[in-house]
Amino acid sequence: MNQNTHSQANIYWLASYPKSGNTWVRAFIANLLHEEPEPVDINKLHTGAIASSRAWVESALDFDINELSHDEIDLLRPAAYCRLSQQMETPGYHKIHDAYTYLTNSEPLIPAQATKGALYIVRNPLDVAVSFANHNHCSIDKSINKMGLQKYSFSSSTKGLHNQLRQWLLSWSKHVVSWLDAPDLNTLVVRYEDMKQTPLTTFTQIATFLELPNNKNQVTEALEYCEIEKLQMQEAQKTFNEKPAKTEVFFRKGQVGDWQNILSDSQITTLIDDHREVMQRLGYLNVHGELSTTPSYNQET
Amino acid sequence: MSTYTAFGLSIHSDMQLPALLRSNNKKIDIQIIRGKVNKKGLDAPEQTRLFSQLAVNELWLHVPNIAWFYVSNGNKIIVEAENGSDEQSIILYILGTCMGAIMHQRNRLVIHGNAIRVGEGCVVFAGQSGNGKSTLAAAFHQRGYSILADDLAVIDEQGKVQPSYPQIKLWHDTAKKLEIEISRLKRIRLQIDKYAYPIKDGFCTIPLPIKAIYILNNHNQDEFLFEPIKGIAKFNPLKNNTYRINHLDGLGLKKQHFKRCSQLANQIQLTRITRPNDSFELNTLVELIEADLTKKELYV
Repeated sequence: MNQNTHSQANIYWLASYPKSGNTWVRAFIANLLHEEPEPVDINKLHTGAIASSRAWVESALDFDINELSHDEIDLLRPAAYCRLSQQMETPGYHKIHDAYTYLTNSEPLIPAQATKGALYIVRNPLDVAVSFANHNHCSIDKSINKMGLQKYSFSSSTKGLHNQLRQWLLSWSKHVVSWLDAPDLNTLVVRYEDMKQTPLTTFTQIATFLELPNNKNQVTEALEYCEIEKLQMQEAQKTFNEKPAKTEVFFRKGQVGDWQNILSDSQITTLIDDHREVMQRLGYLNVHGELSTTPSYNQET
Repeated sequence: MSTYTAFGLSIHSDMQLPALLRSNNKKIDIQIIRGKVNKKGLDAPEQTRLFSQLAVNELWLHVPNIAWFYVSNGNKIIVEAENGSDEQSIILYILGTCMGAIMHQRNRLVIHGNAIRVGEGCVVFAGQSGNGKSTLAAAFHQRGYSILADDLAVIDEQGKVQPSYPQIKLWHDTAKKLEIEISRLKRIRLQIDKYAYPIKDGFCTIPLPIKAIYILNNHNQDEFLFEPIKGIAKFNPLKNNTYRINHLDGLGLKKQHFKRCSQLANQIQLTRITRPNDSFELNTLVELIEADLTKKELYV
């Protein structure tokens, strides 16, 4: 994939479908950059605003965008990201749940000129389906259905104002492919399963890609501070600001393969039917289309 | 040419401004003119931003696909429409961003908020867009309170909020929540599901001293929090809730603005309200605020 050489490209996008480990990566980055010998407060994971933050995008423009339609705002977003990137003195690490899409004028939503790199975090859709149901406070069948919708979006109501801009997620498969095949971006793809199973290697790779401190001690310490149990412990003591109001807990289990205890055979079949090709591409299904017991993925292939 | 009144000023406009009160005043304080605006910006900008340029007494603004605007000396707005743009959209930016800049240029303090009459004074609901300022103002209006301002609470040098436009702009969901019949309202722009709710009765046409400001916030929990902010801690919330605060430096008004914020801080009671971000009873919030207004002794 192309390395881009734009001098004003200061944004690292932390891109993922929801419930794929994005907050874990942000907690890791925050702890890596944190100088105190204690874990960062879960309500202070200030690695950079989310791409869809209305306030962040509006801060780059000079007029109110609240009375513009979703499509009109989207047309302004590339220029806003370029401006925000230009104003940064150090790289910013910005979460994004939008798929990599093209606007009505054919420009990409995410401008290469503003992008230093895109870290794409992907997780087995069978586990995503379970976690996404908890997050959306809906049944697993509904969550599976949403993941299969070709034009699924967040914050897309036209009847009120949301502090998040509309985000096209598309389907789970389309989301993954949109980022993996995005042209002109310097992209690193990491799988949640590798973050869990070989944390030191995978997070060192992440830190290196994001130009963050990457020696073994620093990575190990940051990883200890953001272990799921520690995040859960913090959440037990105080409300996590990013938790949807109806969701009981944000940091739920963080396990790999929990779907095996929860999904029915028909739910598994639906997810595989909906996402076979991309699951194979990511190593979640083997070449015969069967669920991999030890999935592996090499993004160079 | 039509003449209107808002913010205690007489506005002469080339464009019809149906949201405003008409006036017979011969004196002209502000002119809104359809004319040519330099597409490149100002001759000598102090600040150049993505879509705007600023200098002392000058704002140049381009809203893509809508219009170019040139706002100067606190008394003139020149507007040049982009091809294919509609008048409603242009008017929204005239009455919002441009009029905000005019008021800054006239050294008025502009708080991003709605004002309602309480007793012999008024209180302002301020906060980021989407935090429920207009919803609250409309709910209070339904309870018989008079409205002074929607979105732009313009405070003059005597510390009084000047009446703005006799309408509240409401999103579809808000109008529904307030049980307002949407089919009777006009959309503020055809592109969005937001409506002009006219305040025929109960628009306060006289300026009133500002007594309190509530800063609206929300969180993902069930409780309503009311936190009084005292002393010097009042300064930052006032600064941060100033309308288009990022224009002030370029307009050369930062110093005056600080002074105005300090003066206002001494004049008002300030309370931060945090409400649930999910579904909540609007009536509960209104009643909590009424109880707080009583505690603040503002009904006298």
